[in-house]
Amino acid sequence: MSGRDLNLRGGWALVRRTWFSWMQHRGFFFLLAFSWMMPMLIYLFVWSQAAGGGAGGGAGGTIGGLTRSDLVTYYLVLILVNQLAFCTNNWTVGDGIRYGRMNFLLLRPMSPVYDALASEVAGKVVFMTFALPVTGVLALILRPELNVAWRDVGLFVPALALAWMLRFVWGYWLALLAFWATRADALLSLQESLIFLLAGQVAPPTLLPAPMQALATVLPFRYMLGFPVEVLLGQLDGAQLRAGFAFQTGWLAVAAALFVALWWAGTRRYTAVGG
Amino acid sequence: MLMRHLRLIKRFAAVSIQNELAYSANAWISLLHSVLNLGTGVLGVMVLFSQVETIHGWDLPSTLALLGVYLILSALRGLFIGPSLESLAGMDGEVWTGQFDFTLLRPVDVQFLASFRHWRPFALLDLLLGLGVLGMAMAQLGGTMTAACLLAFAVTLGAGLMILYALLLAFAGLVFWSPGFLFTWVFDGLFQMARYPASLYPGWLRLVLTWIIPVGVMTTVPAQALTGDLSPGVLVGSVALAAAFLAGASAIFRGGLRRYASASS
Repeated sequence: MSGRDLNLRGGWALVRRTWFSWMQHRGFFFLLAFSWMMPMLIYLFVWSQAAGGGAGGGAGGTIGGLTRSDLVTYYLVLILVNQLAFCTNNWTVGDGIRYGRMNFLLLRPMSPVYDALASEVAGKVVFMTFALPVTGVLALILRPELNVAWRDVGLFVPALALAWMLRFVWGYWLALLAFWATRADALLSLQESLIFLLAGQVAPPTLLPAPMQALATVLPFRYMLGFPVEVLLGQLDGAQLRAGFAFQTGWLAVAAALFVALWWAGTRRYTAVGG
Repeated sequence: MLMRHLRLIKRFAAVSIQNELAYSANAWISLLHSVLNLGTGVLGVMVLFSQVETIHGWDLPSTLALLGVYLILSALRGLFIGPSLESLAGMDGEVWTGQFDFTLLRPVDVQFLASFRHWRPFALLDLLLGLGVLGMAMAQLGGTMTAACLLAFAVTLGAGLMILYALLLAFAGLVFWSPGFLFTWVFDGLFQMARYPASLYPGWLRLVLTWIIPVGVMTTVPAQALTGDLSPGVLVGSVALAAAFLAGASAIFRGGLRRYASASS
């Protein structure tokens, strides 16, 4: 790897610059965070009502072995994990290629991946300043019980890190399709729908009907979002945990290979649009 | 006066269609979006009812009917209300860029122009899909439907559409106070709550969804009318609410217009 690819000092400066610039526009990003949170909030309410018991708690039945409190905890953690693992690069990198902004990035003495990473760090900081207070208030109102084993926390951290990496690299290779097709957005929308259905947003994966559950286990989407939450809340047994981590790292390897191949082929093919 | 406005609407729609036809590849992408939107909505409801029989008196057919109403309302929004107001108050909208000066100079009522100017013909497909879901749900609901039910449904659906328009107009009008803020995005988030019956939300939220941002009324009340669970009081109440919101939204929009002082650099 040459010095151009590992310009850490330059990379850090870029991260700081992006972070400060994003904090300036935090109203806009709070709005984005709000709209990403909304679907999960809706399903939090719907599922906890379905499990019986009003908003204030009280006696209630269970659904598929999950109590109302379990469901509330699941969705509150899911909201936080989503804010941490959500990557905007699949939209922004693709736009950069289409509108020719990629030119400037390619001319810099460091890899354009730093630019996406800078947005990531900036984004996480800004989104969490919104998501943490909101979930905190919701936790105070809805009062779920949270019993987390230390072993599960230890497994959660790598699961979350892998989820973020998978979503980042996966989004990046999809975005690189913009080198060939000008409208790769359609694929991104398809991916959004699959994440909604299979990654644990519409329902915790254990509550999905059998065919959808089978799909969720095999496809990469659950490992970008729902899997770390299930790990943290201790919803998986030993075999499921091992299979989950195997699928997660496997898909990460596939995504990384696709990214390298597409980047190599794409940058050779790239000619900017312009005039 | 009315004829002139109708003629204008016809012209606006025709120009919009010509614009869209220039980008033929968009048609396929719109088709994909419509199908995905339908699929995620229907599957979401199916997943829920694969685990429970009823929630607070709502079963699968009645919740599907509600989803149908939601899809119809959002299709009508996407057909003209959304694109028209978005071009005014959305990202890089006219109020932000100052283009709104030229809109103000036109010899037509500004609120009319702002509401009907841009059309998105592909939304007609969403409308068809929404009607399909509603039809399927009605078939499942079976023979409980009377003429009175259907009439009440039509009236409350109309009231729901009026409330939707009023809210969008009010949120767009707020842009005159704070030009950079994307109020329509806030509404997008809240509107999604109308996918499910208002009674599935906790009490405090239900109050907000009924009286302050009544997205609950838009879909829940028509679906109740269809299943025959609607009391006459609610029927009258939702029509009155629609009228009140229309008047209020119009006042906000016109109040905002007076504040508009163009954009300058």
